[in-house]
Amino acid sequence: MRHVTTVAGRELRGLFVSPVAYGVLSLFSILGGVFFILYVAEFSEWVFRLQQMQAMEQLETLNLNDHLVTGFYGSMSMVLLFLIPGVTMGLFAAEKTNGTEELLLTSPLTVWDIVLGKFVAAAAFVTLLALIVGLFPGVLFLYGDPEVGKTLAGLLGVLLVGWTYAAIGCFASSLTRSQVLAFLITFVILLCILLVPAIADLGIASGAPGVADVLRWLSTGSHFEEMSKGLVDTADLAYFAVMIGSFLVMTRSVVESVRWR
Amino acid sequence: MIRAEGLSKRYGDVVAVDRVSFEVEKGEIVGFLGPNGAGKTTSMRMLTGFLPPTEGSAEIAGHDIFQDPIVARRSVGYLPESPPLYPEMTVSSYLAFVARIKDVPRTRRRDALDRSLERCGLTEVRRHVIGTLSKGFRQRVGLAQAIIHEPPVLILDEPTVGLDPLQIREIRGLIADLAAPAKGVDQQTVVLSTHILAEVEAICRRVILINEGRKTVDAPLSELTSGGRTLEEIFTRETLRDLAEDAAAEAERETPR
Repeated sequence: MRHVTTVAGRELRGLFVSPVAYGVLSLFSILGGVFFILYVAEFSEWVFRLQQMQAMEQLETLNLNDHLVTGFYGSMSMVLLFLIPGVTMGLFAAEKTNGTEELLLTSPLTVWDIVLGKFVAAAAFVTLLALIVGLFPGVLFLYGDPEVGKTLAGLLGVLLVGWTYAAIGCFASSLTRSQVLAFLITFVILLCILLVPAIADLGIASGAPGVADVLRWLSTGSHFEEMSKGLVDTADLAYFAVMIGSFLVMTRSVVESVRWR
Repeated sequence: MIRAEGLSKRYGDVVAVDRVSFEVEKGEIVGFLGPNGAGKTTSMRMLTGFLPPTEGSAEIAGHDIFQDPIVARRSVGYLPESPPLYPEMTVSSYLAFVARIKDVPRTRRRDALDRSLERCGLTEVRRHVIGTLSKGFRQRVGLAQAIIHEPPVLILDEPTVGLDPLQIREIRGLIADLAAPAKGVDQQTVVLSTHILAEVEAICRRVILINEGRKTVDAPLSELTSGGRTLEEIFTRETLRDLAEDAAAEAERETPR
């Protein structure tokens, strides 16, 4: 455990010495602001129209959580899909190009120390990104009254999606010594996971509902949607745990494979 | 301190290291000699546990590097062919990190850091970012990293490559100091690889020559050069003899046709 924090601490410090961390944080904040303004503008437009149409019933059902925060979370999780590969691409690839892989693997560290240390660093950075996401709905509490539980559940969803992406990025980075390639591999895996529901629908059309169910379960999207609606289900939490766990186990095997006879 | 038994490394059909066995006693400085591509780096990587041997085993300070890796690795300081540095870190934060992952106890870390900085002549550049340092200084940081936890065994892969003559002299002096008995510090056992013969003559007391993955010579330096021969003659003869044998074998294979 001590080694995990040592490896993670070094990784985080390395991230903040390079311009990558600041670039990602700035870009993410700016995009967050832009998306938030767009969603707020859309929401007030709705309110305005419904008031004009005197559609009181619909106006009653309109609320900040379902019609603003959920959409905003969805957009921000899409932004994560583009930014996290940039954060994780160097995790293992850079160790190989620096030659520091030899230092780590000849030190009294276990492969788990290294893999978990790397993941913890990436996850900590993603947590920072999730906190930025959280700031925006936070503003809503000053002017309106969104539901606290629902807002937090969605934020937890963003966090878990981010951690899952980080674990996938970890795995991709362990496969290659090229950071560009690590970025691309992560991106492709994330896109596949995103597109899986569409493939699942094809599966239904071709009459294989069992496969479709499995594929849909694999997709981050459906689990994230449940959470952003405010439903924190153990099954969804388990999904994220399984995804993160299995990608870390695979990463460990790849790193360990240098030592295979 | 170090025991290698029948170490072999094969990549498919290519034999990089072929049944190399040797023992190194405490306080010895052994020169691992051989032409480029002879298998020096591969052998060292197997000794440090970075690469698994295809066959054979290695022991460091009484611990098998593959059966008991964590304890064995704690006893080794290793300077790979290119020093394993994080260019964005400062010298002292890098060495502090290495001290942590090498299990230097918390209370001794400060001392260990200062000591390795001092021994490698890095005190003045301790706050510098590694990426801005000259090649000579980087090599010294690499060496500082290898000795920070005061391991009983040091494995140095071409420690003076790419340095200017003055720096080479400094590093050699430092290595010789490491194995010399000193107050308060245990003697260290050093294995260093090189293809610079003068280096071996300057600091090593024993020579192991490997060529094409096989150990061809293993003797004290004094014994080798006792007949008035220079190390260069021995080196040339041994490496060329292998070449000649290969050529002879090749010729033999071709004649029956």
